Amino acid sequence: MDIRNTIDSNSKIIGIPRAISYYYNYPFYYGYFKALGYDIVLSDKTTTKLINEGSKHVVSDTCLPIKVFVGHVVNLISKGCNKIFIPSLQSTAYKVNNCTKVRGLPEIIRNVIDKPFTMIEPTLDKTNDISFKDFCFDTANQLGIYDESLINQAIKSGWLMYDNFKQMTVSGIPFEEALENAINNKTAKKTIEIVKPISVVIMAHGYNLFDERISMRLIPKLENMGVKVYTGLNVSKQDAIDSIQQIGEIQYWANELDLTGAAAYYMLNGKIDGIIALSAFGCGPDSLMVKEMEYHAVENKLPMIHLNIDEHTGEAGFLTRVEAFVDMLLRKKRRKIEKNNIKLFQSSKSENTKVSQEQKEPSLTIV
Amino acid sequence: MAKKQEGNRTISQLDKTIPTSQRVIAWPRMGNIDLSMEALVSAIGAKIVMPPPNNKEALEIGVKNSIEGICLPYKLNLANYIMALEKGANTLMMFQAPGSCRFGNYTKMAQKTLKDMGYEFDMCVFDMYQSKMKQTLKAFWHVSHCWNPYRYYKGFSTGFNKAFAIDTAERLMFYIRPRELNKGDAERCYKKWYKIIHDTTSLFGCKKLKKQVIEDFRKIPIDENKMVPKVYLLGEFFVLLDPYTNKEIEKTLGELGVEVERQIFFSDWLEHVLQPSFLYKKESHRERCVRYAEKYMKRAIGGETIETIGDTVYAAQNGIDGVIHIMPFSCMPEIVSQNILTKVSKEEDIPVMTLVLDEQTGKAGYQTRIEAFVDLVKRKKMKNMQNT
Repeated sequence: MDIRNTIDSNSKIIGIPRAISYYYNYPFYYGYFKALGYDIVLSDKTTTKLINEGSKHVVSDTCLPIKVFVGHVVNLISKGCNKIFIPSLQSTAYKVNNCTKVRGLPEIIRNVIDKPFTMIEPTLDKTNDISFKDFCFDTANQLGIYDESLINQAIKSGWLMYDNFKQMTVSGIPFEEALENAINNKTAKKTIEIVKPISVVIMAHGYNLFDERISMRLIPKLENMGVKVYTGLNVSKQDAIDSIQQIGEIQYWANELDLTGAAAYYMLNGKIDGIIALSAFGCGPDSLMVKEMEYHAVENKLPMIHLNIDEHTGEAGFLTRVEAFVDMLLRKKRRKIEKNNIKLFQSSKSENTKVSQEQKEPSLTIV
Repeated sequence: MAKKQEGNRTISQLDKTIPTSQRVIAWPRMGNIDLSMEALVSAIGAKIVMPPPNNKEALEIGVKNSIEGICLPYKLNLANYIMALEKGANTLMMFQAPGSCRFGNYTKMAQKTLKDMGYEFDMCVFDMYQSKMKQTLKAFWHVSHCWNPYRYYKGFSTGFNKAFAIDTAERLMFYIRPRELNKGDAERCYKKWYKIIHDTTSLFGCKKLKKQVIEDFRKIPIDENKMVPKVYLLGEFFVLLDPYTNKEIEKTLGELGVEVERQIFFSDWLEHVLQPSFLYKKESHRERCVRYAEKYMKRAIGGETIETIGDTVYAAQNGIDGVIHIMPFSCMPEIVSQNILTKVSKEEDIPVMTLVLDEQTGKAGYQTRIEAFVDLVKRKKMKNMQNT
């Protein structure tokens, strides 16, 4: 879509990069900006070319999600967008801070991209008494809107969309579908679920997991192997906070709810057979959170795998590790069933027949 | 609710089973922090064990027992704890500053790792965030149960004065080292004073230390007319203060005939952090940085990013010849700084070199880079002098 011809400098169009806070918060942004009378332009989906474009602008030590974010901003500028929404989400609760790079997104963009555009850069910092309402007012003021009732109205319609979205995801609807429905003001009903032999929880940031290029379509891949996948989106905020407290941790990072919170929630209610941690190379918060979860996984005898991704992960190596992990989970589950004298397969003593059964296993639907 | 949870974070988790008389305190190393800590803890009547200075052995222990992806300061801190516990410590102390970076999570992780390794200890952590002085006193009361206010006064006073004295000595050494006539004078003088400062215990003696240090350093013969380029050393707090981690970069630079100025000193930071805000008389270092960095950064984002940027701009506007920016590998705030510094360097016309430090102990690579940078800085200075 070439929108360059349609945009002039006074037009009410705002660009939102399809990265970092887009995942999770986009329904709110959509409702909010629409109510303010703005049209939204999204950047294209992440591609290798886009990542390379982003990598050119920042130093090589920067982590993958930031490189992707810069790529998306460049993409928006090349589309002709001259107002780009780049929030600085400093802290989401008292003394619960975000990663430094996410906090400093506007600072990075300001200094690495030298093309002319207006940056809408509100700050959310609950530690220093900048509430979410201030954040929304700041955004509107930077766009030149000072009408209080209009802004309040916009916040309300933003929340409406977000709540709808969150309700859908908690009930188990996948991210893409929920997002599409939320934006069109629809509510999708949960379809009948096929029971899968094993289920795992993926602890990962939304911007890594739901980006198809970064996560290399991990969720569809796992589902094809016959694995039910839970993510941070399927857990409500209160549940996540409670679970973190129950396992005896204190929330330190803003996105700890999606990682430790989700993993702890499913670990405590015993719905899962294993934990998959997916993090970008050099991610600071993840290095601590994943290790912390490892301690708890060992205590609860849950298998756990840590997958690291960067710009040029070959898909084959990644897939092999996931397949091996899933195989291991299947074997473990079967042994558990055999131990409890529930007979699923014809009992066989030779190892060879067992192996041939394993190959058939992904098509197994009833446990 | 959040604030209520906060109150539980530090003090109530403390282990009260260890009797006060049997407590042996350990504190991780960071620069010359050991001088002040020793003075403070022994003044309030507790025993202290200092882990040996950071070296290759400590690094190996740290790397072996910590997470792969975590930053270098944590690895060394953990090694310090382990070495101190081996030497008989049972109370580990540390401050933390939530909201900066991974630093706020160090103690939590270290506690888990050490418990997993089978050590028994009590970890006493206090926040350097709000009501700092109160929390600090509470923590020290917990480990010593000392009621006598005079002892606290003595401890804090001697600790502060020792920190000021050693930092003054370090500053003077940086100034004198490139200018000295007899090579090694400044270094010898510093080592002599380190020992004297370490051994002084009286309240009055400590107060005089700073003056004596200045007087003694003035006696060293120097060549005042020598052309000496001046370089700012900036970056992450821990690697700046720890001579093992930064491979004695100040010494390397001094021997190449460059005067080093470091903006971050332990004593300055301590003064700023512990003083109540209504007692601030002059603009603090941080406030100055925020003012200078305004063009590039509109908000503080944790860590020392804003200090790094502010100081670089300040350096450029005050005729400093170059900036060396050092950071540990995968440090989150300093990666942001590195991104921004590229632009600052271009716009303010000041040479900036970033050195990333990690577990590699090879020095030759750094030496080559530093030498090349010094050559560049010197040539630039000569050119400027010819033009004027």
